[in-house]
Amino acid sequence: MIRYSFITILLLLASFVIQQFLPAFTGIHHSRILLVQLVFLCAAVTVGQPTMLLLAFIGGFFWDAHCWLGPHGGDPEVYTQQVESLRFGYSIFLFAAMGFLMQGIQPLFKQGKWQFSALLSGIAIFLYLAAEYAIINFVRGEFVLSKATVMQMLFTSLLTMLFSPLIFWLLFRIARACDHSINPEAGRKRRRAY
Amino acid sequence: MKPLNLIALLLFLGGAVWAFTQSDRAVREVQEIYFSAMAPFLKSGSKMETQARAFLTETKHSKALEIELEATHSELGALRVKNSLYSDLERENAQLRHALDFKKTTNFNVAAAKVIRRHPTTWWQTVDIDAGEERGIGTQLAVLSNEGLVGKIDRIYKDQNRSSVLLLTDEKCQVSARVEGSPEVGILSGQRGRFDGNPLLRLRFLSTDAALRQGQKVFTTGRGGIFQANILLGTIDSVEKGALDSEALVRPSVNFADLGTVFVVLSADTP
Repeated sequence: MIRYSFITILLLLASFVIQQFLPAFTGIHHSRILLVQLVFLCAAVTVGQPTMLLLAFIGGFFWDAHCWLGPHGGDPEVYTQQVESLRFGYSIFLFAAMGFLMQGIQPLFKQGKWQFSALLSGIAIFLYLAAEYAIINFVRGEFVLSKATVMQMLFTSLLTMLFSPLIFWLLFRIARACDHSINPEAGRKRRRAY
Repeated sequence: MKPLNLIALLLFLGGAVWAFTQSDRAVREVQEIYFSAMAPFLKSGSKMETQARAFLTETKHSKALEIELEATHSELGALRVKNSLYSDLERENAQLRHALDFKKTTNFNVAAAKVIRRHPTTWWQTVDIDAGEERGIGTQLAVLSNEGLVGKIDRIYKDQNRSSVLLLTDEKCQVSARVEGSPEVGILSGQRGRFDGNPLLRLRFLSTDAALRQGQKVFTTGRGGIFQANILLGTIDSVEKGALDSEALVRPSVNFADLGTVFVVLSADTP
């Protein structure tokens, strides 16, 4: 269990490296594959709450380090209404919220129905982006939601979701290598069938 | 709730609040550590990318010719930028001589850089360029192209010879701007959620009776301490009059969908 948790943390850190090389698809509404979020969401459903929270903290912390923009600077007398930056650390809460959402269907995953988790990972990514965009609007004022933004969120979620079976396959392999079962009920059923 | 889960939740909340309350300076330090850790991967990654690109283009052009062409292109662009800035300064100088009878000359020192990565984040309009602090680049410096203002340096990647540019099309990049041939001044910025190749920019805080027409050029005022004066930003596309102020949509002069070589203004000394 500890070995598996440790490897999922390493997997999450590795996803940050790979994320650096994943460009936006300009032809598909500037959507992108959010590998970090996907690895976190898939891992969240396979671990207990304490490990999920640890993963959420690491994921959110480094994601903000990756994306955070500095203050505008310049003369405050000229730039009187500066555009607010999002506070560092907000992603930690978003990651945790999405982690709790994923853990909501953990019983189904434990029964071996990983397909529901894969589908939910796409929905969670969409909710994550929608929440992030809503925070930007709330902090900066003026609610602006264009069709292009909705399409970007939608295609990002879809593209990312397509890779969830691959991440689940990887997690199953890691669990087997660590001699740990991430869906014990499905294993029991299989043994009973034999 | 299990005691272990409760303890984990409390520890998580404590950690999250700690991260949430960090100062801008502390966050910058965290970012430096993060990008230093990423540096070896990014270096080898971009090396591989460059090699792959060179391999693909080698069939079309000889490598030596390509390097020479690139160098000439950078040099030509730098000279064009300098030239346009000098002509703006010349005009400004002549105006000032006539009006106020004083002499002013400004020298722009620019460093050419290539755009190596586009939009590495979801919501912000940023690009990475292959020039960092080794070439004298620091945060908040203006970035230009042959066509006008591109943005400003937002972050320097320490010891990596790279920096991140916040584009003019981002909502957070605000520029004090004036409209040529009118007394109108305002704040120009990008629009939220616009990711198309060349989105229109918003010029806000204009007077209610702003008499502007389509095609009028918009330049930087030089006020605000970040951007030098008389850098071309774009042209007026349309004007929306409000009760308290007017707002204009500006078509940027730079083609943001096709950014290749850019120039970072290192200094604008006034001797």
